[in-house]
Amino acid sequence: MSAREREIRKQARSAKLIAIMAGKSSRNRSLSDKICRFLVNRATAVKPEDDFMRDPLIDNDVGFDPDELDRFQRGEK
Amino acid sequence: MPAPSTFDPQEVVDAQYQERKPRPGVTTKRAICTTCDVMCSVVTESKNGRVVRVRSSDNPIFRDNICMKGIVAPKGFANPNRILHPLKRVGERGSGEWEQVTWEDAFADIGSRLQAIIAEHGPEAWAVSTSQWNTGTDHGLGRRIMNHIGSPNWTSGVALCAGNTAAINRYTYGWFPASDYAKTKCIVLLGHNPSRHSWTPVYNAIRQAQARGAKLIVADPRRSSGAERADIWLPLKVGSDAALLFGWLKVIIDEELYDKDFVENWTIGFEELRQRVDEYPLERVAKLTGCDPEMIAKAARMYATEGPSIIPWTPITDMQRNSTSAIRLQCILRSICGYLDVPGGETLQGFPPDLINESLIEMHHVLSDEQKAKQLGSDKHPAFTYRGQERFRAPTKKVYGQEYANIVMGCYLTPPSALFRAMAGEGAYPVKAFFFLGNNPMMSYPNMKLIIKAMMNQDLIVAHEQFMTPSAQLADYVLPADSWLERPFLLDHFGAASLIRISEKSMEPPGECRSTFEFWKGLAGALDRQEIVPWDTLEDFYDYRLEKLGVSWEEFAATADVYFAPPEFLKYRKTGFATPTGKVELRSSSLEELGFDPLPYFREDPPVDPDYPLKLFTGVREDGFFQTGHRHIEEMRKRHPEPLAFVSPGTARQLMIKEGEWIEVENELAKISMKVAIKDAMPDGLVRIPHGWWKPEMKQGAGHLSGALEYADAQLCRDDEDFLDQEQGIPHLKGVPCRINKVTQDGASAETVAEVEYA
Repeated sequence: MSAREREIRKQARSAKLIAIMAGKSSRNRSLSDKICRFLVNRATAVKPEDDFMRDPLIDNDVGFDPDELDRFQRGEK
Repeated sequence: MPAPSTFDPQEVVDAQYQERKPRPGVTTKRAICTTCDVMCSVVTESKNGRVVRVRSSDNPIFRDNICMKGIVAPKGFANPNRILHPLKRVGERGSGEWEQVTWEDAFADIGSRLQAIIAEHGPEAWAVSTSQWNTGTDHGLGRRIMNHIGSPNWTSGVALCAGNTAAINRYTYGWFPASDYAKTKCIVLLGHNPSRHSWTPVYNAIRQAQARGAKLIVADPRRSSGAERADIWLPLKVGSDAALLFGWLKVIIDEELYDKDFVENWTIGFEELRQRVDEYPLERVAKLTGCDPEMIAKAARMYATEGPSIIPWTPITDMQRNSTSAIRLQCILRSICGYLDVPGGETLQGFPPDLINESLIEMHHVLSDEQKAKQLGSDKHPAFTYRGQERFRAPTKKVYGQEYANIVMGCYLTPPSALFRAMAGEGAYPVKAFFFLGNNPMMSYPNMKLIIKAMMNQDLIVAHEQFMTPSAQLADYVLPADSWLERPFLLDHFGAASLIRISEKSMEPPGECRSTFEFWKGLAGALDRQEIVPWDTLEDFYDYRLEKLGVSWEEFAATADVYFAPPEFLKYRKTGFATPTGKVELRSSSLEELGFDPLPYFREDPPVDPDYPLKLFTGVREDGFFQTGHRHIEEMRKRHPEPLAFVSPGTARQLMIKEGEWIEVENELAKISMKVAIKDAMPDGLVRIPHGWWKPEMKQGAGHLSGALEYADAQLCRDDEDFLDQEQGIPHLKGVPCRINKVTQDGASAETVAEVEYA
């Protein structure tokens, strides 16, 4: 077996493990699910100073007030 | 990438703290935002039965996948101008005079009028255009009804965005691959520029890969934000992507950087490909693309040696004169470099797992061969029509288990320009009934003037919409549509990937808004064909689709945020590829049988017309909008109050135009108004036109169309043969000749200022 073939097999095993962990992490019910959730969370977390997804518009959003939306929908200012 | 830290079991026990705790009085649901076609998993928060906030998912695999369009959705759908009741036209078409009717009365009239049209002209006289991320719950039901009734004339925006890529990918290796960002070592972006608020999950994935050490190559005429982060930026001439890829192949083949075992065992046509590639020495490619030959070679070597590499789907090559060749060249690069169906490369995943897929729901087998042969445009531009895809039926059955694979809804389409010509009375037969759902067709395809003519020539137009779009203004009926907040949804990733996601219903739809599922069910009933859509509710329909899993929709939605099939790689070693030869067809036997060049080629631009010395490109999204939508949302309009044409400082100086000045952009078809925005990132001689502009606050109705006649880019998009891809019949939107006119303060044309020759 060539080195490339071995590398593909290794990466394929890793991809399967990631998929299983992501599936269990998404379900997040049993203890093993929660362990997967924790591990996936930790593996994907980024330090705040390196976090390219931080954005004030998103981070500071608090949504809308339901009465405000009701009035808006009725055309009232 | 954070440094690994020691595992502490106590942290698992405490991990729940990372979940956001429910707030008093707030109900949360897991949803999929379909504000755009990227479809982020999000969480909705409701109070008093109304969604008041959309935030990012608690699931770490969807972390931060939300943008400004998503968070403003609760207000966007609460807009007082939303259509809440069925409307019937009472004046002349486009008069803007409507009366409110019931759904039942609307369907009774629509059904009888459609049946009369079919009786007079045949079922092919009924055409439909949709954008299925907007409609959400179509799930193939529209095609299913059309196939039973006998019409092949269905089209969609996917004809020039993703759907056509899927169809063309089949010509090389039989399926539309998904790029493995998680394990790739090199990413190639062809003109595509995902950013924090546009294509957010793709941006997230690219940045994560770069943080992990993956290389990034960007080919883009603009110095985009992606280009600034790239390891190599190739500032190619607009629309020259296919030529650039020929240059890469020249380097990779000459320097023997390809996967020889794969080429020898799994491809056909390599020697003919080599001969074709030899027609593109780097000096010629440099001239065609404007790129430095050394940089072209460096990028090619990086792609071939740093791998596994990916060339993710890009809409840019979907919209070019050489689209088929540019897409095929991407397929060929993936193949000969050995990146097909390997971790970190491009994976051929097949149909969504354990689900009754949409291609099955569509029931293409019930449409007779005689009716399939009537599909408009399939004679001249057959690549993504029934005729073009015919040869993949048997191999797809062999490899993927069923004959029809309508991947990304793009494999059995009517080319849009052929459809609109027939609707305008210029086709092989008349089309007299036109339905559009979640789609603004007038502004979504080239040659808007033709589309307006086509719509004015219809006997029946039905729109299923949330707002009174310019296209809806010309309809006979406008029926109120629900939104993604107001319905459940089962996402199968366009029928081409091995995962399923769910979206819970977050609130009741306002007024009489109904889902696309209910629209099609109602229409089937109105045509006395209730048996075509036999499910009582959308949830019943989802129960049916999930039968193989042995769970109900309710159970599935409660437990499966996302459902994966275990990934498998190198599957072709067992099954072969889903092509007529079972191999990767570098030389396409199917294109040859259709009468086209079986190898990729590069068709150069027509000679420069001195009246139109500039080039424009369109199709680019602005962060606050998706396609022609969202101009009614105040928060988004504050960010983008007017349509902006981007030009370089050099072009602005030569044309003597200033930042913020109103100009006209004109070509042979039309002229539209834009404000000037001078951008350092733009190359000289190129004008970027934003896609899909109209202003909901402006006057409605024929002759006005809420500003669409003033601003819509579709008016400048040509569909004459020089500007169509030969195999697909889709338009060239990346390099259309134009000029810029100055305008006086009263808005009239003052003079043409673009009489500058650009090399």
